Amino acid sequence: MPSWQDFQPFIVTGLALGGVYALSGVGLVVLYRATGVVYLAFGAVGAMGALIAWSVTNAHVQAWVGWLACLLFSGVVTLGYGMLFGPALSKRDPLVKATATLGLLLVLFGLMDLLWTTSGGQSRAITLPTDNSGFIIGQIQVTWTQVIGLAAGFAITAVTGAFLRYTKLGTAMRAMANDREITATLGVPVRRVEAAAWLGCGLLAGLAGLLLADMVALDATTLTFLVISSLAAALIGRLRSITLTLAAAIVIGLVQNLLVPIPSLSNYNDMTPFVLAATALLVLSRRRVIARSREET
Amino acid sequence: MLDTADARTGGRRQFRLRRPGPGTLVRAAVVTGLLLILLFAAPALLSAYYVDSMTQVAVYAMLAIGLGLLVGRVGLVSLGQIAVFAIGAWVTARLLFATSQPYPLVLLEAGASTMAVGTLVGLPALRLRGLYLALITLMLAGAFSIVLATTNFPNGGHGFLGYNGSSVHIPPIRRPSIATTDPAYFRYAVVVAALMFALVYAHIRTRPGRAWIAIRQSEPAAIAAGINTTLYKLWAFALASFITGVAGGIYAGAVHFLYSIDFPAQDSIILLAVVLMGGVYSMWGAIVAAFLLQLLPALLNDWGVSADWLTILFGVGVLQVLTTAPAGLVDQVPKDLARLGRLILRSTGPRHRQGVSEHDRG
Repeated sequence: MPSWQDFQPFIVTGLALGGVYALSGVGLVVLYRATGVVYLAFGAVGAMGALIAWSVTNAHVQAWVGWLACLLFSGVVTLGYGMLFGPALSKRDPLVKATATLGLLLVLFGLMDLLWTTSGGQSRAITLPTDNSGFIIGQIQVTWTQVIGLAAGFAITAVTGAFLRYTKLGTAMRAMANDREITATLGVPVRRVEAAAWLGCGLLAGLAGLLLADMVALDATTLTFLVISSLAAALIGRLRSITLTLAAAIVIGLVQNLLVPIPSLSNYNDMTPFVLAATALLVLSRRRVIARSREET
Repeated sequence: MLDTADARTGGRRQFRLRRPGPGTLVRAAVVTGLLLILLFAAPALLSAYYVDSMTQVAVYAMLAIGLGLLVGRVGLVSLGQIAVFAIGAWVTARLLFATSQPYPLVLLEAGASTMAVGTLVGLPALRLRGLYLALITLMLAGAFSIVLATTNFPNGGHGFLGYNGSSVHIPPIRRPSIATTDPAYFRYAVVVAALMFALVYAHIRTRPGRAWIAIRQSEPAAIAAGINTTLYKLWAFALASFITGVAGGIYAGAVHFLYSIDFPAQDSIILLAVVLMGGVYSMWGAIVAAFLLQLLPALLNDWGVSADWLTILFGVGVLQVLTTAPAGLVDQVPKDLARLGRLILRSTGPRHRQGVSEHDRG
């Protein structure tokens, strides 16, 4: 059994990763609440954004231009998808809406493989300037990037919570989560509110892609399927509560990383989100909390 | 439930029960003819490269009919079919190394094992509906792929896992004694695939098939009609898993060596996309999907085009199917060809203007 010393660094990486899962999870929850879409292409959009940022940075342009390009790309692609396919599929089952985002995932996945080929054994990496500076708590080295990851998770959750609670647009989104038709009858510009949700989710995808590319790896497959970890957090939050999503994301990040120093389990640490989400789904379905979504009734 | 056909177009007309008439006879003759061509002419006409990829087409036709059965007939979506496929291949490889049982028996055992796993996964399906079922299969498949990456496929070692490490000499997975060469194994795969299709056909034409349609249309109505929905949903999962497991067994013999990297979780997503593209309401859709998945990449590779274009095409295809063509290519292409034919006739015929205005009114 490893000692406490061995676990310490993994607490930091776990918290940082959990923070990024949280901000992605919150993006997924808000979009699902506003539009009924589980956005499975979230990871792919972020991954392509990060690859674009890498290309821009490699072209000896200022690094911040690359980050901006990443956010812009993710936002525009997500908004574009939402505008194009959102209305067409708005009356369909949530499963159809989620499956359609798999289409976007495949398109982006193919494009990434085509444009940023991995066949030559090329490895890419994104380094943020905050990687190299940091501070020490106890004996643990903490980089500013890790602080940003965790802080972003909390900040995004808090800001989103306040936004949904106090702003007019946020109230409209909550209303749409309850009933799209009635909200439209009340004179809320439904399409515009949905567009705002898509754009917000896209920007978060870009941010998550950038941070995960730095913390985990800049690799299309890895980043595309890291969305499953955030989705696990969102599912534990019943695709409803952003506070619960934040808590679940932090727990997933922590558990996933704290299993690394345990030799017999370290190979299986990446199973954490899958196992937790599957368990949550089963438990919640026993209590019939999620037995039927509103579209199915 | 995945209503790829939305409420208006419904799958109902697809499943109208017919009495066997001359149409059925013609269809049976076409199927027999195609099978005979595949069995006897194809291996002789094709190069070794294409015989290999046609064997894969047979394997993927089984995968596609398994998933198509779940999605199209019962309305259950699984995003974890590749994991079931891998389990089938794993069990086959383990049994072939450990015992000297005949190949068909091993295939049956592999199918039975995956059937057990599929039924276990199907149990939560009784409570979870639609989207949540799809997501839990995605989660389970993701977890499984990590286990598989750690345990690896059996390669002639001892113990339960039968994994020998990768440095020693690895014996190939054996093929049935009647089908050791590639063309013979291709025929073997086609026969097994045909048997699986016949099994599905037998199901959808009889009581289970009618029960599945009822469940797909409306579960409360099915219950009201006295259908044991629990039993028939589990039955669908068991049947689909059995077929997928057998496909895994055929795959193991076809490639001789198995690696966990050949069963990535994302392939389940591509499989779902292509099965939807092919068409889930017809058994021909599964065959179209198999050709798209296995023959098209082989052709593109031959022509020096990157297979990534296919991934993009499949993505666009699934979006198109979900928004405008719910019954997939098998339904859309003949319709579009007929429309094209009518247009050509009209533009050459004398009553061109009238034809167009009639079309507009319609």
